Amino acid sequence: MSGLSHFLILASDGMKTNRLFWLLIAGFALFPIFTHFADLPFWNDVAMRIMLLGMAAMGLNLVLGYGGMVSFGHAAFIGIGAYCVGIGDFYGLTNGWAHILLGIVVCGLMGLVIGYLALRTSGIYFIMITLAFAQMLFFLFVSLEQFGGDDGMSIDRAEFGFIDLYNPLRLYFLIWVALALVGLGLMFIVHSRFGVTLRAIKSNESRIEAMGLQPLQYKITGYVISAVICGLAGVLFANWQEYVSPDIMHWTRSGELMIIIILGGLGTLAGPLLGAIVFLLLEESLPIMLDTVAPAYAENWMILFGPLLIMVVMFGRGGLVGLLSAQRQSKNNLKRDNVGQ
Amino acid sequence: MNKVITIGAIVGLVAAGTALYLQSQKKSDNVKVGYMTTLSGGAGIIGKQMQNAVNLAMEHKGGKLGGMNAEIIFADDQRKPDVAKQLANRLMKSDKVDVVAGVIWSNLLMAIHKPVTRNGTLLISSNAGPSPIAGAQCNKNFVSMSWQNDQTPEGMGKHMQDAGIKSVYLMAPNYQAGKDMLAGFKRYYKGTIKGEVYTKLGQSDFQAELSALRAAGAEATMIFQPGGMGINFVKQWKQAGMDSVSKLYTVFSVDGVSLPALKDAAIGILGTQTWSPDLDNAINKKFVGDYKAKFGAYPSFYAAQAYDTILAIDHAIAKSGSKDTAKMRTVLAAGNIPTTRGNLKMNTNQFPIQNIYLREAVKDADGIVTTKVTSTVFTDHADSYASQCKF
Amino acid sequence: MTFTLILEQTFNGLQAGVTLFLVAAGLTLILGIMDFVFLAHGSQVMIGAYAAAAITQATGNFYLGVLLAIPVTFASGYLLEFLIIRHLYRRDHMEQVLATFGLILFFNEAIRVSFGPAALFSDLPPSLSGFVEILPATPYPAYRLGVIIVGLLCAVGIHLLVSRTRIGAMVRAGANNPEMTAALGINIKILFRFIFATGACLAGVAGMMLGPLTAVQPGMGEPLLILSLVVIIIGGIGSVRGAFVAAIIVGLVDTLGRVFLPAILRLFVEQATADGAGPALASMLVYILMAVVLIFRPTGLFPAKG
Repeated sequence: MSGLSHFLILASDGMKTNRLFWLLIAGFALFPIFTHFADLPFWNDVAMRIMLLGMAAMGLNLVLGYGGMVSFGHAAFIGIGAYCVGIGDFYGLTNGWAHILLGIVVCGLMGLVIGYLALRTSGIYFIMITLAFAQMLFFLFVSLEQFGGDDGMSIDRAEFGFIDLYNPLRLYFLIWVALALVGLGLMFIVHSRFGVTLRAIKSNESRIEAMGLQPLQYKITGYVISAVICGLAGVLFANWQEYVSPDIMHWTRSGELMIIIILGGLGTLAGPLLGAIVFLLLEESLPIMLDTVAPAYAENWMILFGPLLIMVVMFGRGGLVGLLSAQRQSKNNLKRDNVGQ
Repeated sequence: MNKVITIGAIVGLVAAGTALYLQSQKKSDNVKVGYMTTLSGGAGIIGKQMQNAVNLAMEHKGGKLGGMNAEIIFADDQRKPDVAKQLANRLMKSDKVDVVAGVIWSNLLMAIHKPVTRNGTLLISSNAGPSPIAGAQCNKNFVSMSWQNDQTPEGMGKHMQDAGIKSVYLMAPNYQAGKDMLAGFKRYYKGTIKGEVYTKLGQSDFQAELSALRAAGAEATMIFQPGGMGINFVKQWKQAGMDSVSKLYTVFSVDGVSLPALKDAAIGILGTQTWSPDLDNAINKKFVGDYKAKFGAYPSFYAAQAYDTILAIDHAIAKSGSKDTAKMRTVLAAGNIPTTRGNLKMNTNQFPIQNIYLREAVKDADGIVTTKVTSTVFTDHADSYASQCKF
Repeated sequence: MTFTLILEQTFNGLQAGVTLFLVAAGLTLILGIMDFVFLAHGSQVMIGAYAAAAITQATGNFYLGVLLAIPVTFASGYLLEFLIIRHLYRRDHMEQVLATFGLILFFNEAIRVSFGPAALFSDLPPSLSGFVEILPATPYPAYRLGVIIVGLLCAVGIHLLVSRTRIGAMVRAGANNPEMTAALGINIKILFRFIFATGACLAGVAGMMLGPLTAVQPGMGEPLLILSLVVIIIGGIGSVRGAFVAAIIVGLVDTLGRVFLPAILRLFVEQATADGAGPALASMLVYILMAVVLIFRPTGLFPAKG
């Protein structure tokens, strides 16, 4: 079979099995039309934030959902991507494509180094060492007075040549294109030989070793790819926010990413994006609802959010994707491995 | 069944919230002020005080600002820059506010400064005052109703220099504000600095630092430890009997937020501030009296500045006769704004020129610990960054 | 920098370590025996502190406050395990993380709703407000000495419980091989509940001790949680002895690092750089230590399993 037809078959197969994801992508493309006619331009901002968070979560999902590596430090890569824009801007580098290139290269290298060191461990130890690296990077950036420390830096949106990012729709569609490309890329990776091997490693690492393969190589490669995706999200995020600060790489942000993935559905293509939608919408709506029902307690809206998360874990197997889809997610995704722990 | 309940709960909450939000959008000819502060999470107490003060101000003004009907839209930034940015966009594009005000934290202000001013909306800070906004990155659509971060520690530096204190030990948390505070202090204090220690942000146990302090033997100790850190530090200072080793001076650490938790432990501690509950002018007396009566405690400087912000907006609209941004800022830039600190003067970069007072924590007639002015360190003190600001 | 100062700082480090141990001990058992990632352990610290502070305020007696707060924290841990935790044992680590993260949010808000967002007033009991001269001309707060003593007593108590009693034998068996232990007919459910409640109680005691020293406010337990996770990783999951050794090490490294690192750096680099990098490095020190330990001993210093 020729390469092109193979590619097309894979693509159309992928579109079918990942229907939900592409449906959401189409939805995001049409959303600005809706906001234009409903005169709700602010909601484009919410949508952009959702797309960026979803992108980062998709990056983490590669190692967390498909690869079974619980990395608590991925917010650091978003931060590094964002600071590539900030520091670049500081030294007069304003070309957006250069920022993206810089972000990819730096995050790739950092991902390689951190991944190599961290993946010598597994289980809870892996979680903690990734957390440690993330904290170290956080404190590093807080101490860099030149770049604002924790006060952060205001930055100008980058120049992308023909795309003027100060036109809000241009930024929106730049992010949208990036999200779609990331989705496409992940779809191929997951169904490729590499992706299948990675998922098999999550399920039973010693079996893969017995087959003569090196699990570590696959895990590190997956880690680097996920770091690069988060970095890309960071670059675009810095442009949206017009500001960078170490807050983006605080460990609680990594926790948020994990919540989003688990909420949406581990190890699925649409899960992270769906999780991001629900998470951010809840963040918007819960305070308003509480304000209407019990204004005195409006700022205590997290008292509802916490139990909601617990309920999702207790009752919602496979996250929202699992709840929505007709076929249940394979139980293998959720059973705890005893191997390698 | 459980699955259905869970998914139903989530969808229901999201839908209801969105519906309620959309319903609450009303267009009118009122003055709309978007007040952004931190209401949820750890620092919520500060936001709560500011919210109380803003509501009290509106009560005093009969719900009108400058004669026009006014509406305050409170927004909770959760202390996150991206939430603040989104809120700023919502306030400007969706709620179409005339003024964005509030903002406790410097990093949040840095995040929303450009977007709001670029949009032509007036931005008034009730607290944060980072130096870039006072200097090179200043913008004519920004007005500060609080202070520039360095002013208060500059006052402390001058006081200690004038009082002839020979040696000082400095301590602040290791973040931008901490470094700014100590830099401001050193601008005016020229004596011996026996130690300059940066502690971990959020640190709760200072016993080790106190041991080192005791060994250094400085005549005075100057600290900047805001919020919970200040409560911890002062408690432990007293518990370690450090008063016999060195005299404690503070900036932004002993105030209306920390005093209720410290109570008697704070008595005798000195600090500098641009305001104190006992400032003797009519506006302040009314503010403090009514705040105490309504909310059962002394207001903090955060609350006073929030109150002043509303007074400023009222003054701007009344004097200019409109809620147009350019007209309002022209009035505010001219100064002479009636506030709890007296008639406030304005510098060329639209930051206040104001007195810095030395305050001591004392017990009032009812046995509650509060601060009292003991002297005025600076009269009409301007910030150090105005010369870098060119609109 | 005198010898007495170094000794005094070592003492401070020991006190920090002992407090950390109280929090880490429970966590290592929960993680080691039940394989449960209990992120809300910091909330147990907070509950203990609030219980003690509230009862002390109501009765006017600190000791009564602590005495009554102990059963309150034990009960809260017991109840939590019964209502929620036991349903989550079979779940993925990630899902446990999510659920316990939700618990943190819930507890913080619940405390905020019940007691308000401001810090609660708490102070030293008058009987322990004095000083003890541990070294010539070095007055040390008597209360902190008390904390060290209580912490060491607890450590000894736990050691005796785990190594000399039948329950302790069951706990050790559970840490080493939970499936086999269950297969031997031991009522794992009740054992787990007991371990969980005891862990919660220990964390609560740490909170009660810290209450008079620090600010009793929502979220006060989270910094301790992170640090104790580091401790149990370094010490080895499931090992109480490992938790003790690691807690002392972490307490010492953190304390001594904080105060001496800038000075040490000044010997190698110029002052401005040392003053800038010193504090940043000091905050990272504990994480660097953990990363180094993990790179050479991927399962910690004294792992309980194998």
